[in-house]
Amino acid sequence: MKRRDFLAASSSFLLPLTVNGLSIKAFNENSTLVKSLKNTAALNSDRILVMINMIGGNDGLNTVIPLDQYSAYQSLRSNIAIPESSVLPLSGNLGTGLHPAMTGLRNMYDEGKLSIIHSVGYPNPNQSHFRSAEIWMSGVDYNQYDSSGWMGRYLGNRYEDYPNGYPNQTMEDPIALQIGYIATPTLQGNSQSMAVTIDSPDNFYQLIGGAEASPPSNIPPLQTGEQIAFIRQQQALAVGYASEIKAAADAGQNLATYPSVFENNDLANQLKIVARLIHGGLKTKIFFVTQYGYDTHSTQVDSSDNREGQHAYLLSKLSVAISTFQLDLQLQGNADKVVGMTFSEFGRRATSNSSKGTDHGVAAPMFVFGNGVKKQTIGNNPNLTTGLLPENPPPWETGRDIKMQVDFRRVYNDILADWFGTAQLTTNNLLFRNFDTITLFTDTVDSLSNGNWEDSNIWTVARKPMAHEVVKIKAGHSVSLNENSTVKDLILEGSLTFEGNSNLNFGE
Amino acid sequence: MAYLSEHLPALSAEKAAHLLRRVTCGPTKSEILQFTNLTASQAYQTLLNNIVLNPSEPIILDEGSAYYKQTFVTGPFRGEDNFVWSSYIKYWWEAQIVQQDTPPSLLEKLAIFWQNHFVTTREIVSDYRFIWRYLNTIRTNSLGNFKVFVKEITKDPAMLLYLNGNENVKGSPNENYARELQELFTVGEKDFNGNLNYTEDDVKAAARVLTGWQFTNYWYEGSTSFGSEFVLNNHDITDKLFSENYNNTLINGENTANGGDLELNMLVDMLMDHPEAAKFICRKLYKWYINPAVSQDIETNVIIPLADFFKSPANNFAIEPVLKKLLISDVFYDENNIGAIIKSPVELAAGSLRHFGMQVPDMQNDSISFRKYFEYLDWQLYSMQMSLLDQPSVFGWEPYYQSALSRAWIASSTIALRYNYTDQYIWGWYDISPTYDLGINLVEWAISLQPNFLIVTNTSTDNITVLDVLESFTHKLFVSPLFQAQKDFLVDTIMMQGLPRNSWLFEWRAFRIASKNIADGIDDATYTDKFNGIRWRLQMLMRYLLRMAEYQVY
Repeated sequence: MKRRDFLAASSSFLLPLTVNGLSIKAFNENSTLVKSLKNTAALNSDRILVMINMIGGNDGLNTVIPLDQYSAYQSLRSNIAIPESSVLPLSGNLGTGLHPAMTGLRNMYDEGKLSIIHSVGYPNPNQSHFRSAEIWMSGVDYNQYDSSGWMGRYLGNRYEDYPNGYPNQTMEDPIALQIGYIATPTLQGNSQSMAVTIDSPDNFYQLIGGAEASPPSNIPPLQTGEQIAFIRQQQALAVGYASEIKAAADAGQNLATYPSVFENNDLANQLKIVARLIHGGLKTKIFFVTQYGYDTHSTQVDSSDNREGQHAYLLSKLSVAISTFQLDLQLQGNADKVVGMTFSEFGRRATSNSSKGTDHGVAAPMFVFGNGVKKQTIGNNPNLTTGLLPENPPPWETGRDIKMQVDFRRVYNDILADWFGTAQLTTNNLLFRNFDTITLFTDTVDSLSNGNWEDSNIWTVARKPMAHEVVKIKAGHSVSLNENSTVKDLILEGSLTFEGNSNLNFGE
Repeated sequence: MAYLSEHLPALSAEKAAHLLRRVTCGPTKSEILQFTNLTASQAYQTLLNNIVLNPSEPIILDEGSAYYKQTFVTGPFRGEDNFVWSSYIKYWWEAQIVQQDTPPSLLEKLAIFWQNHFVTTREIVSDYRFIWRYLNTIRTNSLGNFKVFVKEITKDPAMLLYLNGNENVKGSPNENYARELQELFTVGEKDFNGNLNYTEDDVKAAARVLTGWQFTNYWYEGSTSFGSEFVLNNHDITDKLFSENYNNTLINGENTANGGDLELNMLVDMLMDHPEAAKFICRKLYKWYINPAVSQDIETNVIIPLADFFKSPANNFAIEPVLKKLLISDVFYDENNIGAIIKSPVELAAGSLRHFGMQVPDMQNDSISFRKYFEYLDWQLYSMQMSLLDQPSVFGWEPYYQSALSRAWIASSTIALRYNYTDQYIWGWYDISPTYDLGINLVEWAISLQPNFLIVTNTSTDNITVLDVLESFTHKLFVSPLFQAQKDFLVDTIMMQGLPRNSWLFEWRAFRIASKNIADGIDDATYTDKFNGIRWRLQMLMRYLLRMAEYQVY
């Protein structure tokens, strides 16, 4: 399409969004009516999020491998580099590949069910396991502290009185469920965890038992009384939920074949329970599972074969667990209502150390998966020449880190606002301020500001739009195109100027 | 307010129990009695004097082994037995914690603290000799000088392995240990107000200081010695400059055979000169022994003065005097701190074994029973998420650093596992030996309360009541007294299941008569039913007591 045709066509895209016949544009965004309409219309009440915590700091550069810069990659980490020919290629994305152990995730990518979000992190990165995990889990700035978790705050906002009066008729199931033992800070609400933790549904019910006569509620004074009150509440919740969880586990089935118990794939075992509970009708919104072992300071690859070893073993389990879980959900007919995300407290150093390992690093890729994801990639491969830290290394500094492209809270923003349908203002409050969307769950690639088409920073997806994507230049933004590009379609609310002889083509 | 001033009044039974609950892993009832009426200072001194630093070494507990009952920690390394033999080291330590045949001391609880501070794990370290040496480094330095402790642990073979110090060589340093040394072991990541205590470049500089240390003979079959050594050739001999957090300290690169020690000394001096280091250690001790929540008031009036004392030239980082100040202080005995912590699995499990007098079988003479006792305890600690010598990460167990603090021990799944643990005392299904199961003989306990059990009279006042039973079962069990409504509930709803309390008197008297018949050689077919009926009520009561929230705090 030539410039002229496209200008003529663009006006027809300016349709007002209407809800129940009322144009939302007619109202101020902050009006009570608009907010209530958005809440009721958009709150996606049956949607589920599964969070997978990869504990230890995953080595992103050996997980998602920048094939377009293979020699730079190889020279940063020659003793652990994955051979170029073994990297799993991605359909329609020749510059990027996955670790050879991750065939399941590669297939999901090719089917459009896996999104790779490149170089996720936050400004002023902290390389302490504890503090960085705390930052990710509470969803704060590097210098901000909050004892609640980002998902705990969301649930606290959605189920205001929890745990008082729970379980109840409108929500008889746990609002969040963690497979594990020590409650994750991610699900910590303002005063206590929003999650019920279980090791397995059967074991849990057997040990907790059913309800007994209610004891007197006397509480001794001082802090001992506060602790006793807390424990009693947890005991009551455990009893209250044990039979619901058991009932869901009994009613539910796994329809896919998970790895056998002898393979020791803990993550698969956990996701198997999650799938069974979802199939059994448990209305829990958030599931939290954990995979340990990513702190690979030494021998992350085998002495004789860089494709094998500790890291390959972990990624293989991750890939098998997620892809089997996804298949299970599809066979159950539940795949449309579940998305999953992986996260790890930080990435690892781009440069390897001499012990065939990697020290603590900065940014790393995140995966979001499920039928609901609308983008296969967010951001670009890390640039291994100009995108490394420190930008001006001192003479003795041999290490290089990967610079962040996408703030992790932008991913959280899309999960809260677009996946769960939380009002944007509420989402901003939960994340302490507004973060730009990465349009992970929406169909278009949107502009974020004025600028050049080629500049990754002006797009929600933190990269140039691709040929199969619909682009929206939003009202008030003016974008200039300097070289020929192809998109599927363009929605022009702002303006687009063409420099030189550049053309925008409409393909696919 | 109560701060660091010495607690002068003689200890009431409640205060003596508080001391023993916090400073050991749980007292027996007779220990509480022994410590009642001592002063805080006398009590502390007794717990210090009672320390047995070198009990006899672990032995092989597997009756099928050619080495059965022999010591092994200093013998030639045997890889095929490694896993099982390292378990015997864990059992040995658990035995020091639980045993009741020597007077109570403060060592093991403190050693758990330091092991959870300078974490390495059996799972990662693997070589049982390394684990034994590491455990000894911990136990022998627990009350010594903190700077010496840090240097010892830095060079400890297990630590060199666990945090990759062994692989930290010039040119491409491995930063793992250098980071945790600052973040977790000495200065802490941030100060009380949240400011960072060091920079990323400080991590890199410290890693370069520490290049060149390595362990020897790891997993070397048949080797009879092992240790750690400094390899000058792997050491970065250039100068290391630290940030203004450390007053821009420059540690000169040393190019001599003792350069590793010289630079390590300077490094530890520099770390402990950091204004936050002494506070970090004192705060952590306070959280362990007194209260995991530290207010600004406590920071100002307890932590800072204690840290000033810790690092004063006169004290020069000696640990024992600091511990003493803390454990004999008014703040330690402050009412608000009593019962303010949720029991860890070790405190629940070891505390229950000690409270109910589950004696540890003799390691040497009754080795199989000893092994079975600790196989059980070890498994229970593992399932309740507090495997000794096997923390999930270098941060230690989560409840000692997560924001939920000791409440993090309590989640639905761990509540279930705690129930499972204490229920076991009721059913007594785990056999240590044909004559010893890990259960409370509740009927025997009730009989012991009854004067002249076998001489049954016609007066009903001669029988023990439900309240007598409740009183005895709850003696020294909880931190705070039960409310009347709770006692009524326990008796009427749990023990009597809605029947009038008098029914107990009839049942109990009938049981006495049947017991008398059996004792007299009369064939009384009703005895078993009567015994079971009594036992059921006692089981229901004790099971409920041990599941109560009150039993989970200390």
